[in-house]
Amino acid sequence: MNTRVAAIAVLVAFLAGMVFATFSELRVFLPALLRGALITIEVAALSFLLMTASAFTAGVARLSPWWSVRWIATAYVEVFRGTSLLVQLFWFFFVLPEFGLTLSPMAAGVLGVGFNFGAYGAEIVRGAITAVPRGQWEAAAALNLPVFRRMTRIVLPQALVVVIPPFGNLTIEMVKATSVVSAVTLVDITYASVQQNQLHYRTVEIFVVTLFLYYCFSQLIRFSMGLLEERSKRHLAATR
Amino acid sequence: MNWDWQFTFEVVLPRLLPVVPVTIQATVLSFLLAVVLGLFLMLLRISRFKLIAVPAGELIELIRGTPLLVQLFFLFFLLPEVGITLPPLTTGILGIGIYNAALCAEVYRAGIQAVPAGQWEAAKALNLGAYRTWRDIIIPQSLPPIVPALGNYLIGIFKETPLLSFLAVGELMHASKLIGSEYYRFTEAVTLAGLFFLVMSLVAAVLVRMVETRVSRSILR
Amino acid sequence: MTEPRIKFENVCKRYGPLTVLDGLNMEVAAGELVTIIGPSGSGKTTVLRVLMTLETIEEGLITIDGEPFNKMRSREGGLVPASTAHLRRIRARIGMVFQNFNLFPHMTALGNCIEAPIHSLGLSKAEAVGRAEELLDMVGLSDKRDHYPSQLSGGQQQRVAIARALAMRPEILLFDEPTSALDPEMVDEVLQVIRQLATEHSYTMLLVTHQMGFAREVSGRVCFFDGGKFLEEGPPREFFASPRHERTRQFLNKVLAAH
Repeated sequence: MNTRVAAIAVLVAFLAGMVFATFSELRVFLPALLRGALITIEVAALSFLLMTASAFTAGVARLSPWWSVRWIATAYVEVFRGTSLLVQLFWFFFVLPEFGLTLSPMAAGVLGVGFNFGAYGAEIVRGAITAVPRGQWEAAAALNLPVFRRMTRIVLPQALVVVIPPFGNLTIEMVKATSVVSAVTLVDITYASVQQNQLHYRTVEIFVVTLFLYYCFSQLIRFSMGLLEERSKRHLAATR
Repeated sequence: MNWDWQFTFEVVLPRLLPVVPVTIQATVLSFLLAVVLGLFLMLLRISRFKLIAVPAGELIELIRGTPLLVQLFFLFFLLPEVGITLPPLTTGILGIGIYNAALCAEVYRAGIQAVPAGQWEAAKALNLGAYRTWRDIIIPQSLPPIVPALGNYLIGIFKETPLLSFLAVGELMHASKLIGSEYYRFTEAVTLAGLFFLVMSLVAAVLVRMVETRVSRSILR
Repeated sequence: MTEPRIKFENVCKRYGPLTVLDGLNMEVAAGELVTIIGPSGSGKTTVLRVLMTLETIEEGLITIDGEPFNKMRSREGGLVPASTAHLRRIRARIGMVFQNFNLFPHMTALGNCIEAPIHSLGLSKAEAVGRAEELLDMVGLSDKRDHYPSQLSGGQQQRVAIARALAMRPEILLFDEPTSALDPEMVDEVLQVIRQLATEHSYTMLLVTHQMGFAREVSGRVCFFDGGKFLEEGPPREFFASPRHERTRQFLNKVLAAH
């Protein structure tokens, strides 16, 4: 409830700020920052899809009965969590072309951010799946459900409830982390603010607006994840 | 495209190895700053006076809710404007330290709040003073969750140091970027930098786990 | 001579150094209700879990109507470890009710009862719903079909679990301490359902329980399990009146004294 009020307040403040900004001297740098914000949103949205897909794939794969699948998933998680996001971005953008695979800045940014955070997400998914009681697997087996159905119909829906809150926090971290995509020449909010600052020397105004925009993104994600969480566990409240 | 060993040994390694200490220095100093500053932030945050506690909480939220890189740029551009001239490395350590202090403050708070209310009441019933209560009852019990979390932040800070390359601090990432743009070859330098981070953080993760088991064993028998 | 419905031949199950089933032999005829009793922690539940293939066995052969279950016949006629498809085919004939119900918490009572018939037997949704409604009615819960497990009492949950197992139309029903997790006042409603199944239907049933009175009343045969095998078995009246084995006597004295 509290977060809802906060999120709405933040949105209203943001709109008010926009109106105010349009008629003041913020006008000189705000358009550039907002164009940057669009890039940030694009990178974040695509990365979120990739992050979710790779988190669930790798998280399930880490529990596979085949050691080779487990091994590949573990290697993915350890490598992407163990090296820095910035290093990975560089690798995707500058090293891959030397192997004959040239990526656009947007593709490199999304691959870097998505795979990096997917590795963290995989651990969340794995933990949530192992937290589903053994009896659920056994009941599904006793009902003769095929292995794939046991996973998709019985275990994953229950794991999802546990996954959502930490996944929300991870998404907020991910959006914040998109601030480094200027390393692959994308002009996101962060880089736009650096450019504008070098043009106009209005450090405080520019960075306050930038920080505020990021803060709005964080609150918006927290708010929508809260809604999702409420929805997902309506029926499970009193279980066990 | 293949790996050039000669280039690796003659150009990349001689230029990367000397900057490893910079990365480590930045990590250790930022971590110390975060641990100490985090303690102060936490004390403000749990203050009985709303006038202190609420703004402290908001400040922590603001720092946690915005990207470290933006905060680094902000400090980097702001400090000279208000007349403080610092070397980029110092600015960077300050930025990483403040950011992680906010994270540490929340970890401390969670650790302390995890101590059951009954423990405070028992201490009061035994007529222990505030100092004794904190030192002998509360802090020892709140350490087991705090220590591994701090360990993870240490690893996190280590992986955040490449951000300093944006401020032109001569650490690992910056050095490999320079090599790349000078020779138009990124493979060796970026891969080696990545390997260095991978090995260091795997080693650090093992160490953190060791400390974690020691702490929980020594405190909870 | 007809084959027994369930047959265990020299079945061994070990957890590391611990032997849980030690060359177990057992035959259960079609339509028979066999109760397995024995000290807690003796592994009597393992007999059911092995039959449900929730645990694998190291040695021995389990057959259902003469057909190997944990193994299957190879083309040359020898026995090889069973494939997943073989296990699933035979397992379809067995249903199980768990001590902790293990209902799926994210599905309603009806949802629990139609999930496997649709996705395992391939029934149409309408058909599965019809069957599930009948069964929920039989266990006296037709008014709870849209309730989630968290909204039901323990006894009601266990009755839904029984309906869920029956919805698969099994020939063999396994009950693993079905009343042990229940509050005392809910035990009877569950036993009543099992009693009804025993008297009005022709399921082959294996029941692990601590309810001695109920075992005496419904079962055709009582088996005492200890130390990895059956020490003694017999018709309930004889079994409870004059146990032959010293260990059985000690166990019965202890259990009956507690009541």
